[in-house]
Amino acid sequence: MDIDIIELSDTKARFVLNDVEPAIANGLRRVILAEVPTMAIDYVNIYDNTSVLFDEQIALRMGLIPLITDLESYVLPEDCDCGGEGCTRCQLSLNLSAEGSKIIYSGDLLSSDPKVTVADEKIPIIDLRERQTLVLEAVAKLGIGRKHAKWQAGVGCGYKNMPVITIKEDCDSCGRCVDECPRNVLVINNDKLEVTDPLKCNLCKLCMGICDIDAINVIEKPNSYIFNIETDGSYPAKELVIQGADTIILKAGQLKEILSEIE
Amino acid sequence: MIPVRCFTCGKVIASSWEEYERRVSEFENPGKVLDDLGIDRYCCRRMLLSHIKLVDTFAPYQ
Repeated sequence: MDIDIIELSDTKARFVLNDVEPAIANGLRRVILAEVPTMAIDYVNIYDNTSVLFDEQIALRMGLIPLITDLESYVLPEDCDCGGEGCTRCQLSLNLSAEGSKIIYSGDLLSSDPKVTVADEKIPIIDLRERQTLVLEAVAKLGIGRKHAKWQAGVGCGYKNMPVITIKEDCDSCGRCVDECPRNVLVINNDKLEVTDPLKCNLCKLCMGICDIDAINVIEKPNSYIFNIETDGSYPAKELVIQGADTIILKAGQLKEILSEIE
Repeated sequence: MIPVRCFTCGKVIASSWEEYERRVSEFENPGKVLDDLGIDRYCCRRMLLSHIKLVDTFAPYQ
């Protein structure tokens, strides 16, 4: 297995994963989407709300705000010593007290733990008008994406096969494939057909269909995948992939333990 | 209020709304503004493109 990184920023990662079975590539994708624990607001005590939104709507909006996750200080409520009742190991509170008229942003939430803050401070929660107030306490817990999408750290995660485009010697550079390609991967340079960026190819094979002399060939390279990963801000993209891999190891370990108990 | 995340993929789009609204009101091309804001997928683009603000409509009836 090896990885070629194409693009890596705080919120986005794009890399080529080589020499892996499809099952591992898909396992990584699914774990990033559904199994990596993240912090999200799960419970909201509303003390006063005279805004235009109902309490439930405000609570739903709060849940979707991404929080920076610190897996070293917190554990999942079901794994906690308190048994999920709520203690400082498995939950924290964020407070908000505001009066109109102004727009209340996610950055106005005051966290009880300086390490766990909102990942994006510019999310408008509610537009308060004159004499409208909002006072609430939100309780954030760790959770996994399989349970609710608010705990999903990876957004728009996916992969595609690595395309291999070969142009044969007998290509007459008619240019019909260039017009046909929806991703503008092909170009005619000095009367010769060339591939600009094979990573852009979406393997639709329209170029193969339009070529009368079968001079162009597009195949999927086996066991090589282009991964696209985006995060909601709760983890940096690199950290999210590492956490995903760790979760696979953890799950494989659990399976091993169960199997070893069977005689 | 603009939804916090894209309904389909879950990307946080609410934080881009104010810049989008301001620039579109200055007659910039909405498609280009979305490109600048890094909102690439069509699921996220429709969230901003099709949003209608209702807070001002409801506010007098509180």
